[in-house]
Amino acid sequence: MASALKTYGTLIGFVLVVLFFWIEIPDTFMTAKNWLNISQQVSMLAVVAFTMTIVMVMGDFDLSVGSMASLAGIVAALAFRDGHGVWVGVALALGVGLLGGLLNGVLVAYVGILPFVATLGTLTVYSGLAFLVSGGKTIFGRDIPTAFSGFARSGIPLADMVSLPSLTIVAAVVLLVVWFTLEQTTFGRRLYAIGGNKEAARLAGIRVRRLRFLAFGLSGLGAATAGLMYASRVASANPTQGSGLMLDAIAAVFLGMTMSEEGEPHVAATLIGVLILGVLGNGLTQMSIDSYVREVLIGSIIVLAVASSSLGKTKG
Amino acid sequence: MRTSDDRSQRKMGNAHMTATLRMRLPAAALFLSAVFATGAALADGKIAVITPYLAQPGTQFYVEAFQAAAKDKAWDVNVIDTKGDVAAVISRLEDAATQKVDAVVINVDPAQVEAGLAAVKDAGIPIVGMDAGASPYLVTNVTSNGYAMAADTAAYVANRIGGKGNVVMFVFDAFPPVQVRGVIADAVFGNNPDIKVLDRVTPDVSDGGIADSRAKMEAILAANPDKGSISAVWAAWDQPALGALQAIEAAGRQSEGIVITGIDANPQAREAIAAGGNFEASMAQDFHGIGAAAAEAVAQTLAGKPPKSSVTYVPTKLITADNAGD
Repeated sequence: MASALKTYGTLIGFVLVVLFFWIEIPDTFMTAKNWLNISQQVSMLAVVAFTMTIVMVMGDFDLSVGSMASLAGIVAALAFRDGHGVWVGVALALGVGLLGGLLNGVLVAYVGILPFVATLGTLTVYSGLAFLVSGGKTIFGRDIPTAFSGFARSGIPLADMVSLPSLTIVAAVVLLVVWFTLEQTTFGRRLYAIGGNKEAARLAGIRVRRLRFLAFGLSGLGAATAGLMYASRVASANPTQGSGLMLDAIAAVFLGMTMSEEGEPHVAATLIGVLILGVLGNGLTQMSIDSYVREVLIGSIIVLAVASSSLGKTKG
Repeated sequence: MRTSDDRSQRKMGNAHMTATLRMRLPAAALFLSAVFATGAALADGKIAVITPYLAQPGTQFYVEAFQAAAKDKAWDVNVIDTKGDVAAVISRLEDAATQKVDAVVINVDPAQVEAGLAAVKDAGIPIVGMDAGASPYLVTNVTSNGYAMAADTAAYVANRIGGKGNVVMFVFDAFPPVQVRGVIADAVFGNNPDIKVLDRVTPDVSDGGIADSRAKMEAILAANPDKGSISAVWAAWDQPALGALQAIEAAGRQSEGIVITGIDANPQAREAIAAGGNFEASMAQDFHGIGAAAAEAVAQTLAGKPPKSSVTYVPTKLITADNAGD
């Protein structure tokens, strides 16, 4: 029973937060429309957090995801401005994301730089590139085709006035792909083995370097996907717009990790972490709570959730 | 509205958790108590003010003035700062629509948050822009009059040089709010037959605008070496005016009586104007006035009489050496 509480403390906390808002905001919180709203609001963070989970499974970090998201948005917007179609812009941006991620992989896996340092370096490089190619300007207005900006406003109609947003569908697809990759393939199980003990994994014949290289590539690809979703949602691209994603994504994965007996990241748990952040943002706004109080609450919840989980584990 | 005692009893009942569990979940407890500490008061109107730019001085002035006006009207104002995150503005607009607030005030480019504005409008909630930019989603956008600011400084220049002489203009036609200023100055100078526009310069603004304006002005000074060959520099904003001032001082031509004007009256410009050199005038926007006028526009809209014009102008003030220190 006690161990179940340790493992499910964060989940119970999430349920309590939802119950709290349901009671406080009885008319509008627990509605299909609001939950579809929340799903759309967290979709970009969710994609970054899901792919961040892949590298965190190995005990690594990718700090460059926020600037990669910005860079991807800028690359697509510049392609649109030069008259290329939506798919060309999207493909170019995803290509840049994959290459940037693989560069992180080279630095970490083959050159042997600590992920924290390597991705801190590329964070600055990608951010600088985003400023360089855009001239520091926001690209918006007629430069962004309506087919691209319309995507974030589209969805599958479910009922009167309610539809399943396209951004939510993208996030759900990424969730399924990452879940399948991590939980159902040898590739995924080997990543967990590396996270458990790199040396043992290597001695067991796992090609640690190549797997880390590929995992960082996936993280870069996820960051670029989120950057495109962001650019579509705001119908513009700005060289700093993705920068808030990185810390929130790491926070979401950490919140999820408190739900695992071994302290391992799992993508389904990351989803709960993402939802906690998203529901707090949505509910506290509806309750007219000051936006800075929200920051303090979110930070405190992360620290307390991780602390209570790790204290519980040490005692147990 | 329920009282907080009533609410806390219901919560105790609903939360149904044991003391042990509560200890395991300090996060939830903290969360609940913090929420009670900031519980909203009973109010005549719920207004959400949403901006990504609260850290910027101009926006802070708007918001403070708006809050002061809202206090008199007994509104419950929720200021939401997304700290530079424009997509989060869309999310918070959607939340405000769900929450069914009485009005929304934004300080962000409406073109970037249209998805959120559409959600608010669909919910039948009026939106007022506070120096936001024009948009069909807004009841009105409260801002300073760019046409008037340019007319004031161009007329100042024309009058100061007695309607006669060569003028250098610094413009930026790629940015609509600054482009209108150039058009008006063109009209004022064109209406004075003895004023000749020597050059209409568009500086490179990637470094902030001062350095390149200085370089461009140095070239113009070199091409016009005679005393009196340049009577004035009219700049569509302060940075080129400051760059021109540096160029004139570096060339040792500050005693030729070249008149410089800017627009915005930023602190650096005010300092230069107060020093009593060639930089003589700029225009100050009334940030407090914009916040107060936005509150007034909300009040009128809630009373069923929304402002007629899609743009509401707040008067600006000519800043010279006499009032630069105010």
